[in-house]
Amino acid sequence: MNEALIVSNLVLWVVVLALLVAVFALARQVGILHERVAPMGALMMDHGPKVGTASPVFTLTDLAGRPVNIGAPSLSSTLLFFLSPTCPVCKKLLPIVKSTAASERRWLSIVLASDGDEVEQRKFIRRTGLEAFPYVLSTNLGVTYHVSKLPYAVLLDERGIVRAKGLVNSREQLESLFTAKDLGVASIQDFVDQRP
Amino acid sequence: MALSVMPLDPVLGHALAGATALVLLVGAAQKVRDWPGFRSALGAYRLLPEVLVTPAALALPAFETIAGFALFAPACRSAGALLALALLATVTGAVAINLARGRTDIDCGCGGAEGRQRLSWGLVARNAMLMAALVVGAQPTGPRPLGIFDFATLTFATLALYGLYACASQLLANRPRLVDLRNHA
Repeated sequence: MNEALIVSNLVLWVVVLALLVAVFALARQVGILHERVAPMGALMMDHGPKVGTASPVFTLTDLAGRPVNIGAPSLSSTLLFFLSPTCPVCKKLLPIVKSTAASERRWLSIVLASDGDEVEQRKFIRRTGLEAFPYVLSTNLGVTYHVSKLPYAVLLDERGIVRAKGLVNSREQLESLFTAKDLGVASIQDFVDQRP
Repeated sequence: MALSVMPLDPVLGHALAGATALVLLVGAAQKVRDWPGFRSALGAYRLLPEVLVTPAALALPAFETIAGFALFAPACRSAGALLALALLATVTGAVAINLARGRTDIDCGCGGAEGRQRLSWGLVARNAMLMAALVVGAQPTGPRPLGIFDFATLTFATLALYGLYACASQLLANRPRLVDLRNHA
């Protein structure tokens, strides 16, 4: 009898542990699923210059002293990428921004925008190897576009018209801005609304 | 901590201490593995001056490791439990302050399997449970001699308690994502 109890107890323990592993795996898979499907496109907060309207023109100087024109007609489209040294998601996106800059070089130039302490920003640029990008510090720029959450991106076409914008947390969301420009829809929300 | 009326069974005490030790050691390992991420998460809490962020980011996993190993050894268990309680109280306080500031959007820096975990009161509740487990686990245990079967129970119970913790953390990490999904739809 005693032996039977011991055996049954051990068997139950094994089952409990196996079930715990299963529950954990399920919870983990739900988490991964959320990450993959979550916001399908860059989420647009409906503030600031509207998609389809001309961007206000900014004449700024980047941290390397080069002039940067935003919103003025130019040879290529411009992706304004708002970031900050203190935002963890921005760091995750930097390699994606770099690879996008390389792969979309033909039609797109990327401008990084931030504000705040210049010394801190310069350290950040060195640490993350962003010297190749124009990097502007302008509180006014962020205020004009109503950037409340980072990383935020605004896509302007060669005429300086806002084509797409939104909060970007992943490569898919960044690319959704390009898709939105190609399809002529303002955001993924618009796209979903337009479908019957 | 001599409040207990009835001494705790040694198996329970060992299992609670063992599971909390596992939580601390795995937590420390995860923080070390993605140290730059942990450092920036700690900075994002905006509680420490910038010069202190790096030392604190080094000290936290170090103390976690010490507390974890101390909990495993019955001789220094109460010391380990006290250190672990102090650590947990500190980080939970940090989470609570940022929750009170309304900054639920920052990464908790808890590291590890659950990926990016945002701040929530659930996290505070989870840590409170951990602290309760530490307090109970550090109680003096009864004198019952342990047999081979007790050791089996001990091992399984430790792993099961850790498994519960891991599940709870993962589900806590999923929750805000689920809420996001609902808001977007």
